[in-house]
Amino acid sequence: MRTLIQALSLLLFSIFFVFATYKLPNWLPADLYLRLDPLLGLNAVFAAREIIGRALWALITIGVTLVIGRFFCAYVCPMGASIDFLDFLFFRKKKRLGLKAETSFRKAKLFLLIIFVSAALTGLSLAFLMDPMALLTRFYTFFLYPLAITLINLTLDLLRPVFQALGWITLSHLHYPQPVYYMSAITLLIFGGIIVLNLLAPRFWCRYLCPLGALLSLISPLGLLKRRVNEDCNECLKCQKACPMGAVADNPKETRLPECIQCRTCAKVCPQNAITFPTSLSYSVGGEYSSVNFSRRGFLYSLAGGLAVGFLGIQTPFTPRQSKHQLIRPPGAIPETEFLRTCIRCGECMKSCLTNTLQPCLWESGFSGLWTPKMDLRLAPCDQNCNVCGKVCPTQAIRSLSLEEKTHAKAGTAVLRKEMCLVWAENKICLICDEICPYNAIVFRPVEGYRRPVVIASKCNGCGYCEQRCPVKGESAIVVVPNGEIRLKEGSYVKEAKRLQLDFKPDPGDDRFILEEEGFKVEERKKGKENIPLEEKSQPRKPKGFL
Amino acid sequence: MDQHGRMITRRKFLKTAATGMALGLVGRPSFLEAKEDYDLVAISGEPVAATRKALEAMGGISRFVKKGQRVVLKPNMSFSRTPDFSATTHPLVVATAAQACIEAGAQQVLILDHTLQRAEFCLERTGIRDACKNIPGVHVLALQEKKFFHEIKVPQGKVLERVEVMKEILDSQVLINIPVAKSHSATGVSLGMKGLMGMIWDRESFHSQYNINQAIADLATVIKPQLTILDATRALASGGPGGPGEVKKPNLVIAGIDPVAVDSYGVTVVPWYGQNFKGRQVEHLLVAYQRGLGKIDIDQLKILKEKV
Repeated sequence: MRTLIQALSLLLFSIFFVFATYKLPNWLPADLYLRLDPLLGLNAVFAAREIIGRALWALITIGVTLVIGRFFCAYVCPMGASIDFLDFLFFRKKKRLGLKAETSFRKAKLFLLIIFVSAALTGLSLAFLMDPMALLTRFYTFFLYPLAITLINLTLDLLRPVFQALGWITLSHLHYPQPVYYMSAITLLIFGGIIVLNLLAPRFWCRYLCPLGALLSLISPLGLLKRRVNEDCNECLKCQKACPMGAVADNPKETRLPECIQCRTCAKVCPQNAITFPTSLSYSVGGEYSSVNFSRRGFLYSLAGGLAVGFLGIQTPFTPRQSKHQLIRPPGAIPETEFLRTCIRCGECMKSCLTNTLQPCLWESGFSGLWTPKMDLRLAPCDQNCNVCGKVCPTQAIRSLSLEEKTHAKAGTAVLRKEMCLVWAENKICLICDEICPYNAIVFRPVEGYRRPVVIASKCNGCGYCEQRCPVKGESAIVVVPNGEIRLKEGSYVKEAKRLQLDFKPDPGDDRFILEEEGFKVEERKKGKENIPLEEKSQPRKPKGFL
Repeated sequence: MDQHGRMITRRKFLKTAATGMALGLVGRPSFLEAKEDYDLVAISGEPVAATRKALEAMGGISRFVKKGQRVVLKPNMSFSRTPDFSATTHPLVVATAAQACIEAGAQQVLILDHTLQRAEFCLERTGIRDACKNIPGVHVLALQEKKFFHEIKVPQGKVLERVEVMKEILDSQVLINIPVAKSHSATGVSLGMKGLMGMIWDRESFHSQYNINQAIADLATVIKPQLTILDATRALASGGPGGPGEVKKPNLVIAGIDPVAVDSYGVTVVPWYGQNFKGRQVEHLLVAYQRGLGKIDIDQLKILKEKV
C-alpha cells in the first residue's frame, strides 16, 4: 500500500516534470511538488523578505503534517521514493556498515536546517544545496532528462527501419532535440553520493541529512497518528532492525516520534502483531523520545555557522557588482539582488526551456549565484513564442508573464563587435544577424561604401537570435549584453517598455525607409562615395541581390 | 499573440476548401474544351480556388502525380510566423495542393521543410500542419537532423561539388515546390529556386562559404521539382525572408513547370523594397537562366491569366 502510494507520487512528480515545457497549459501547476515544499518556501520567503504567493502552498504540507505527522517522507517525497527504490535495487542484500553514535549524527539534519534558515535570514538562498525537492528536480533536469532523450532517440533510430517498412511516416521521422546542460556531472555525483550513503544505513539521507525532514520532524510529534505497542510485545527487536528511519528506541515499545515517518514497516514485521497506529488525541509531547533532542550549544553553533556562511556568501566582490552583473537572465527575472534571494535553483526553468538556452551558472556570480539560470545565447536563442520558464518557477523569481508581457521584458541589448564582424572588419558580405532578427532591430547602413549592420537598441529585446547565428568562429561578433535590460518586481513590462520608448512589436517595418533615413549625414555620404567599389557605385540604392 | 494571429479555423478551411472544389468542378468542362498548353498560369483569387484553378490550367494534377506515387511538397514553413506575415506559404495553398495529390491517387504526400526556427513552432504557427491534418495520407514534417539527409554529387556544379539533400526527395517520384513570394536580404527575392535551400542540410554554407547565387543555381541542377506553385496570395515586399516587413496582397497563385520562368514572373508581381524589378535583375535567376535551367523573359512565354 505504502509502496504503491510512493510509486504513484514519484510517477506524478515525473509526469509534472515531463509536462514542464512548451506548451504547458495554464491550469497545470507543473511545479506543484516544489510549491508544496515548506523548506523551499521558508527559505525564499525569509531570503526575499516578503510573502511569495506560490510558497503558500507549502502550508498544506505543514497543515497535514500537524494533523497526521511526518507522513510526507514515507508517502509523498519523490526523493524518498527514489532512495527506497534504488536501495531495493542495489543494497537490498548488502550488509550495512552502520553508524556509531548514531543519535548524535541524527542532529546533523537539524543543524543543517538551522544553518539554511539563518543563512536565508541574512539574504543568502542556500537551502537549494540540500533540499530534496530541489535536488531531485535538478537531478532530473540535468541528468535524467537528457539521458532519457538520448535513449528515446537511440530506440527510435534502432526501430526506424521497422517504422519505414510499416510505412509509419511520422514515427520514421521522429527525433527529439537533445537537451544539454552544464554541470550534469556534478549533479549526478551529488545524487549518486546520496544513494551510496545507503550502504551505511537505509535512508541515510532522510535520517541524518535531509533538512526538509528536519523541519517536518519539528512538528510531527504533534500529529494524531502515533505508533503504539501493546502488551503482546516480546521485545524481539525485529521492528527496531526493520525501521528504515531508526525510529524505534532502544526499548522497542518507545518511539522516537520526530523520526517516525508512519511507514508502518514495524507493524508489518512484528510477529506478535503488537504494533498499531491508532489516532490519539493525547499530545504526549515530552518524554525522552518525543521531543527534538537538541543541545543549546549545537543550536548556537549552527546558528553562528549559518550566519557566517550568510556573511561569506553575501559580502563578496560579487555583491557590489550585482547591479552591474554580466549575466543575461531569462526575460521576466526580477531585479538581480531579489532574484538571487528568491531563486531556489530547482532547475525547473532550465528543464522547461524550449530552446535549451537556459543554463545553470557555476561561479559567474559567486557562491550566491550557484545553479541560477542564465541565458547562453551563443548556444541557443530565446524563442519569442514561448513563456514557460516563468510559468514553472515555484517562487516566481522568473515572473509568469503573458507572451505580450514577456516580449517586452527586455533581457539585454545586442552589441556589434565591429573588430570581429565579417562585414565591418573584412568587408565580407554577411547578413545573417539581420535575416534572423525577429524585430528588424538590425539594419544595414552604407558606411565607407559598404552596407554594414547596425543595431537599433530600442528595437532589440535581447532574444539572442543574432548572437547564436553569427557565423564567426568562437565568440559571436554580435553579443547580447545586460545593458538596457528591464527587470521589474511588479507591474507591466509593456508599460515600462512604452515609457522607455522601446518597440518590440513585430510590426511590418520597411527597410527602404531605413536606407533613406535622415540620420545619415551628408558629409559621410560624400566621403563614403569616394571609396565605393565599382559595382556598388553604379547602383548604390538597389537592395542586395538585385542587379 | 498566442491565438489571434492565426487566420484559419478548421471550419473556415473546410468551407473554403468546399467552395474551391465546387468552383473547380464547375470550371473543369470549359477547360477541357480549350485544351491548350501554357508555360505559366497566373490565377487571381482566393487561395483555395486559385490553387485549384492553377493546377487545372496546368493540365490537371494527374499530369504530374500518378496513382500510387510518393509525392513530396516543399512549402516554405521555415519561420514561426503566422500566415499574415507572409514569411511562409499560405496553409490553404499547401492543403489544396496536397488534397489534389491524394485525389490523383498518390500513395502518400510528405510536406517537408528544414526549418530555420524551432520546428514545433514553425509547423504550428504557419498553420500548415493544422490545415493538412484531416487529409488522409498527408504528413507534415520538419526534418531537423542530419540523419534524414543524404549527400549527393552535383555534377554540373560551379561552386557546389556535393550537397546533402533530404533522403525523402530521393525516394519520391514527384516533387512539387510551393514557395511563398517574399523579399530576401541576401538574394533580393526568395521564390521557388531560393526556397529549395530548405531541402538541404547545410544552408548556412550557402551564405558563408559560397557565392549564394551560384550555389542556388547549382542546387537547381540536382533538385528539380516537376511543378512549382508560387503562392503570391500575399507577398512580403520588404523585411524578408523572416519579416516583419511590408505585406502586399497580389492575390495570385502562379504555377509552371519551368522553375526560372515561375520565379521570373513572380519578381514582377509586386515592387520589392519599393522598386520594380524584372527577373533578369535578380542575380540568382539570371545565373540560372544563363546556365540553361529555364526561361527568364516572360514576355516570350505563353501565360494564362485568369480570375476565379
